Order: sequence, then C-alpha cells, then structure tokens
Amino acid sequence: MTAVMDRPLVRTEPRSRFQEIWRIVRLHAVTPSVFFGIPWIILGGAWLVMLVIGIIVTGAGADPVEMREGMRYSWAVLSPQWYLVAVGVQAIGMTLSFALGFGATRRDFWLGTSLMFGIVSLLNAIAIATLVQIEKATVGWWVGISMFDALWYGQNGWLVDFYTTLALQLFVLFIGASATTVYLRWRMRGMLALAAGAITVVLAAVATITFTEGWPTVFEWFNGIGVVGVFTVVLGLAAICAIGGYLVIRRATPR
Amino acid sequence: MTRTVVRASGLTKRYGSFTAVDAVDFSLEENRIYGLLGRNGAGKTTVMQMLTGQIFPNGGEIEVFGRAPAEHADVLRRICFIAESQRYPDSFHASHVLKAAPWFFENWDAAFAERLVEDFRLPLNRYIKKLSRGQLSAVGVIVGLASRAPLTFFDEPYLGLDAVARQIFYDRLLEDYAAHPRTIVLSTHLIDEVANLLEHLLVIDQGRILLDRDADEVRGSATTVAGGRAAVESFVADRAVIGREGIGGLASVTIDGRLSKADRIEAAGLGLELAPVSLQQLIVHMTGTDLRAGSTEQEVAA
Repeated sequence: MTAVMDRPLVRTEPRSRFQEIWRIVRLHAVTPSVFFGIPWIILGGAWLVMLVIGIIVTGAGADPVEMREGMRYSWAVLSPQWYLVAVGVQAIGMTLSFALGFGATRRDFWLGTSLMFGIVSLLNAIAIATLVQIEKATVGWWVGISMFDALWYGQNGWLVDFYTTLALQLFVLFIGASATTVYLRWRMRGMLALAAGAITVVLAAVATITFTEGWPTVFEWFNGIGVVGVFTVVLGLAAICAIGGYLVIRRATPR
Repeated sequence: MTRTVVRASGLTKRYGSFTAVDAVDFSLEENRIYGLLGRNGAGKTTVMQMLTGQIFPNGGEIEVFGRAPAEHADVLRRICFIAESQRYPDSFHASHVLKAAPWFFENWDAAFAERLVEDFRLPLNRYIKKLSRGQLSAVGVIVGLASRAPLTFFDEPYLGLDAVARQIFYDRLLEDYAAHPRTIVLSTHLIDEVANLLEHLLVIDQGRILLDRDADEVRGSATTVAGGRAAVESFVADRAVIGREGIGGLASVTIDGRLSKADRIEAAGLGLELAPVSLQQLIVHMTGTDLRAGSTEQEVAA
C-alpha cells in the first residue's frame, strides 16, 4: 500500500458491473456437472432406455408405426426437468452463502444466477429442438423410437420447439430458485405462507370458475392460444419468479 | 496516521426475544491485528456477519470503509470473511474454491495459496463435505491469508487444526502481515494460542463488549497473588479482585491493575508469590459466570 492517504476510502480501481455479474456465472459453472453434466446424463440415460425398448419391441414384431404413436405420450424428453428444479434450489441455497462469503452482493448474485439460467435454458432449448429434428430425419434413430418427437414437440417446427423448451427451462430453474429465496429470507414461516398463499389462489380460481360455470370458456381459451400461447404464459410465470426472487433476495440471510 | 476501517455504534442484533449483540460500540483501525474474544455464543460471529453485510442489524450503525457494508460491492470486495460454519456448494472440492477466489479477491496470490495448501496438506480433489474439521478450517485459513483483503476476518481459525498446522498459521500470518499490512480480525475462544499475535483485544460476552484495549496494556495488567489465606486477604483488601480460589489455608487471588515496586516489596514481605496472569486466564475471570458479579466489569473496563 503506497500513497493511499489521499485516496478516498471507498472507491478503488474501477471494476465493471458486468465483471461482477459474470464472475457469478463462472462460479456456477466451476463445477459444470451440476448444470450440464448430470441433466444430459439423465437425458442420455432415458434415450438409451428408449432405444433398447424400441429394439425389443420391433424385434418382437410389433407395428413400428403404432410404437411411435405410443411413445409420443412418454415424458422421457422431460426427464431432466425434475433434477433442474433441485439445481435451481441449490444454486441459491448453497451457492449464495458461499458467494456472500466471497464478497458478492445479493443483487449481483441474483443477476449472475439469472444470466446463468438464461444461458443454460438457451443451450438446452437449441439442443432439444435440434434433437427433435434429428430424430425425425433419422426416423427415430434408425430404430423407429419417438423420444424427443413427443408430447407437443415435433409438430410445429424447430422454432416452436425451441421457444417452448426455453420457456419451460427458465420456469423450472426460476421457480426452484425464487422459492428458495423466500426460505432464506423468512425461513419455514415464509415457506408455509407461500404454500398457503399458492394453494388459496388455485382453490379460489377453481371455485370461481366452477361456480360461474366457466370451464368451457377456460378450455376454449387455452385451445385458442395454442402451444405457443400456453408456453408464453409459462414464460410469464418464469419472469414473475425472476423479479420476485430479485426483490426477496436483497434482504435474504443465508445460514 | 492511522485510519479507521470499521466504526460501529449502538450495533444491535436480536433473534426473537434473544439479543445476540446488545448496542455495542467499537472501531477498528487500519493495519492492526484484532482479537475478538469470547465464549461460545457470546456474539462474535454475529458481529462479524454484520460487519460483512451477511446479516442485517436491528439497530445501530456500521460503517466499513466509510459506508454500510451490506449490498455495497465496493466495500465487500475489500473484505474476506470465511465463517467457521461456512457452507460450500455440494459439488465443490477445495480446488474449486481456490479456482474461484481470484475472481473475487483482487489481491489474490495464487502462489502463496499453493504453498499454503502444501503446508496444511489440504487434499484439493476431495468433496469439501468429506473434509475433516481441521481440513475445513484450513480451507478458510488459506483463503483468508491468500486473499490479502484489506479487512480479513478469521472465524475460529484453529478449530480442529493440529499443533503443526496451528504453528504454520501463526508463522504465515505474521510473515505475510509484515509484508502486506492489513486489518485482521481473529475470533477465537482458544485465547492462549493466539495471544501473542494480537495487538488489540475486544472481549465480548453475552452480546456486550467487556473490554476494548491494546493487548500490551492488558498483558501484565493482572496478577495472581498466592500464599497463606490471611496474608493474601490483607494484601488484596483494597484492590480490584477479579478471581478467587483457595484450598484450606491457602488462597490464590487474581487482582486487576499493575503492581508498583512498593507493592511487590510488601508482597515479598508477607511471603506471597506473585505471578502474571495469561490473557486466557484473565478472560476466563472476566467472562466466567460465577465471578461476574460485583466489581469485575466496571473496573476492568475502566
């Protein structure tokens, strides 16, 4: 330390805001197995199981067209999502405490974590949407299975598959992360209040719709907005979680 | 000229009806080594968590490098605080901690960290949750030393460390502090181990500061007088007694305040033995519940 006496106490060398946020992304990525390795091992495992089932079923002489149709109802393509909720929870529950110990602010931590979620969702969306196309082009990886080309996938082209995966992925990560911020700020009491609040809202909505005999209208509305519309709602929920998490984490205290 | 790095006034933290830190006032000067001493649950960690913006006080004010620490990146980047109970992500090895450290500490010295890893024989490629208590302490000690943060906290750095590792910590800290002066706060309840390191003492008990004094002043400020009960009692009659023990006709009484030459001659005449009191003994006397009552607090703090 030389010639520090005239220097103001607080400001030192400039450090860009982006750097402070980017280092949180790097912190999450320092063990890449969490966000990338394990989800893709789960998905790869599911793919392998489907492949073996496909070989067995066609080997036994079943109708491949019928098998493809049946496999469309498999949720194998969504298998990593349950794990990724837990990733969202741990990204806050464990990494926040560490980042605060290393002198990050809660604000930068949340922004960096959100950026990480965005990157992961973007990559996963590109990968899944592309795998749907490959599966279609190879007629089910040359054995006639239908794993990625399932549920709502494979019907409306690459872009819709990309958009829906992106929305779902962001929602899955942010709901785990934002619920954890509630726990860190208000502990068990906050979690109970959150759960009670969510249940109340759902029940109130169900009651209102039932008593006003609005179910047909609701179904019509969902039909009207289509797959893209539904996932836009999901994306909106993800955004609410992201903003809510930002507000809550600013006063959160890790154990 | 020394600058004040930390200023706390009326700092208070309550958890429900329990007051963990009760309106404490203190300040920390630049480039000194402070000991934050006290029993388990005295409030040491709570104070450090407030100074590093990890928890929010219920009352009072803190200024660290001129402003409140919480959520201020330009303050926090100059602080290093690895809590004794620091949590690490499940997937982390010590190697990940050391890899991430330079992104957060601008003065990080990777070569120094490497040398410390060897000194402490820290296994780098093992899950942190599988490390022993001593190895976990070593992770915190290595980060604290190699970060060279202008304000570094060591929270119970000795927990679980073996004798060799404790000596290494002691030596490396002094070496590095001499080369790169900074403000260091060491919290511990193992007082004698660190006593010689400390330049200034803050003794905290039940959320209050009992003593805030230079270590040199405190060392040798108390004396134990031992001998026949009657002689001891007459010698200490009008002195500040902070501890009292005895078996049968023998008594050993600890008094606060320096003894003059005349006092020593008087004691010798009475056949009494005088012994200096170690920092640890002094603090045991100050914070031990059975002897708290009476004159202790006011007179020691005076």
